[in-house]
Amino acid sequence: MKIGDKLINKVKEKITIHEIYRQPEDQITITVDRNDLPETVRILYYDLGGWLSSMIPNDERQINGNFALYYVLSMEGGKMTPEDELPQDEKCWITVKTFIPANDPTFPSVTLKVPAAVWYEREAYDMFGLTAIGLPDPRRLVVSDDWPEGLFPLRKDAMDYRHRPDPVDHKDEPEAKFLKPEGAGVLDVPLGPLHITSDEPGHFRLYCDGDTIIDADYRLFYQHRGMEKLAENRMNYDQMGYLAERVCGICGYAHAIGCIEAAEKAIGLEIPLRAQAMRVICLEIERLHSHLLNIGLACEVTGNVNAFMHIFRIREFSMELAQLVTGGRKTYGNVVMGGLRRDMTGTEIKKSLELLETIEEQTKEVWEAVMDDKNQVDRWKGVGLLDKQVARDFSPVGPNIRGCGFKRDSRYDHPYDFLTQLDFEIPTENGCDVFARETVRYRELLESVSIIRQCFEMMPGGLTVIKPQTMIKPGAYAIGNDEAPRGENIHWIMHGNAQKVYRWRCRAATYNNWTSLRYQFRGNTIADAALIVCSLDPCYSCTERVTVVDINSKKTKILTYQDLKRYSQSSKNHPLKNM
Amino acid sequence: MKLLDMTKKYGKATYKYPLEPYEVSEGFRGKPSYTYDNCIGCTACGVACPSNAINVKLNEDKTKLVWEFDAARCIFCGRCDEVCPTGAIVLSQEFELAVKFDKNNLKERGELDVEYCEVCNKPFTTKRLISYILHRLEKVGWDKETLGEKVKYAKTCPTCKREEKVEVITKYLKRGTK
Ligand code: SF4
Ligand code: SF4
Repeated sequence: MKIGDKLINKVKEKITIHEIYRQPEDQITITVDRNDLPETVRILYYDLGGWLSSMIPNDERQINGNFALYYVLSMEGGKMTPEDELPQDEKCWITVKTFIPANDPTFPSVTLKVPAAVWYEREAYDMFGLTAIGLPDPRRLVVSDDWPEGLFPLRKDAMDYRHRPDPVDHKDEPEAKFLKPEGAGVLDVPLGPLHITSDEPGHFRLYCDGDTIIDADYRLFYQHRGMEKLAENRMNYDQMGYLAERVCGICGYAHAIGCIEAAEKAIGLEIPLRAQAMRVICLEIERLHSHLLNIGLACEVTGNVNAFMHIFRIREFSMELAQLVTGGRKTYGNVVMGGLRRDMTGTEIKKSLELLETIEEQTKEVWEAVMDDKNQVDRWKGVGLLDKQVARDFSPVGPNIRGCGFKRDSRYDHPYDFLTQLDFEIPTENGCDVFARETVRYRELLESVSIIRQCFEMMPGGLTVIKPQTMIKPGAYAIGNDEAPRGENIHWIMHGNAQKVYRWRCRAATYNNWTSLRYQFRGNTIADAALIVCSLDPCYSCTERVTVVDINSKKTKILTYQDLKRYSQSSKNHPLKNM
Repeated sequence: MKLLDMTKKYGKATYKYPLEPYEVSEGFRGKPSYTYDNCIGCTACGVACPSNAINVKLNEDKTKLVWEFDAARCIFCGRCDEVCPTGAIVLSQEFELAVKFDKNNLKERGELDVEYCEVCNKPFTTKRLISYILHRLEKVGWDKETLGEKVKYAKTCPTCKREEKVEVITKYLKRGTK
């Protein structure tokens, strides 16, 4: 009996499965009828303990005349209680695949049964024109509101990747629709539009009753760069990894690894042990600097600039560590199919071990000092609660879900290569609030230090790269997963002809965290909004500008970034008091 | 309060950069530095570069082979360094790449004399590449005489070589059918 067979047999009791296909042993794809799709996903998700990790729409008209959908479920157990978990050797990926005929591009929506699918299904329409029938929220997600109707960029015959539709005149731009609660006294607070301190734009609408947020909605993807289109049929695998790296400025390495792992897994390529160990090291270095950044910002947003400075002082050591390991302050420009470009010397390893010592010691010191500060802890506690059931329904990832007591971590649930040889803990906290998430991050920092140390100590000798002579099989596909600082990253690659990619789907950790954010806002005050967003670590922490609209009096007031930040930091002199 | 104690304990954490230099580690991967004198125009770097930072192309009137590097496109992966046969391009420790006003200052160029095919007289490679090959052959022990014979072969472009081969083979085959 192979891994996953038990689960598949349970599905078979209720659903006809047309085909079972395995890429690597633990990645199983089952093909079902279009009409059975929602029920199959539901059975796997709720009855058998799956989580929705990604959904890939694919234009396979050149291959078999149809579109296809792949719902990727991470089978690991529901985890609502500690017992509710699959045994380690039964955890696997099950992908539900279904074909959609080209002349009728519709499918029954899965969202009605599994809410976690909502963004994926909205995106399937934007990018491929596949309509989810019955989808409760069919607004556009990825493409802008003035994008031409009927142009679906990821269809193979849609457009050249260089094509840019003409922009619509500013005055003709359609208004974005927001989901909003009705009622007297509801304040509409747009947070945004662009330029949030770190680097990304996003537009939030907070609906408030007085100071309390009663609901929220958001519009993102202002920076959609069309990377998937760019890679398709054009890039070779030497370039792919470097492009994937540019998905994010903080956790890009995790994307490069996810992407290259997917390409390697699809053809069953084994890379040298030394490269495996170094990939793990780089991933953990990324976690170090990213978590330090986030804890630092969570202090800064609440006015604790002193702690922020100290944390950044320590973060600098992790950048130096990256410099020793990869030759750059970020771990970029290193991953290629078949291993890594750059090896390390013995001296570099020795120096790295010393740096680790410093990082560990000083992180503990600063965390203790932060915990000592009652004001700081009070600002974090009880804020941005993520309800356990909401979490179960929307499949969030990373410290966000581990702060709710779910032991979900890609390194633990689906380990591969060198990770299987290491000894590490997955910290969880039960507070469900900002405090729990930051505590998880702090404890993970110490784990990361320990993982890096183990890797250095066990570092196998030999090459760091092999040439993947075995070469690409057109049509082969696989999932590449890893645990980025913000949570699980999923890449899915289908190989094409001539050493090129047929389809690359990249799902960043934060994508799965946005859908439940709305619930995390509810019941909090405006002063905490920035902090809640920050605790998800989506590279934002503050807002540039806020317009407040009082629905009753139709008065508006524009708050500057400084106003909001000051209020967020001091909680004094409410900025709306004179409205 | 603990935080203030820490500030005292660790003192200053910042550099006076840019008034004082920032030291990078030994294996740092900085801006590729190009030594014109070593470059033979083999185009290996241009082929290997994943981000098209290096382009090696004939100029318009086909009199020079132009090697061009654009630091703004470089991702410091070091593939060029890895493939260059002569060490003409190596990663340096330099990381201060900002330029004022004119983006063209990020670019570097080198022009190499081209060699014309002995048969069809079309430009096909650089003079330096030919002499590099001959030099290498000499080094591995070819004597002057054999080398002399090979010079013509080395100076024939791939298209003409192919045609010559085809000619020879057809002649040979014709003889066989007679
Ligand atoms: S370092 Fe990489 S990106 Fe830069 S020029 Fe060399 S090959 Fe191109
Ligand atoms: S690989 Fe070296 S010798 Fe060849 S063109 Fe590039 S720099 Fe010149």
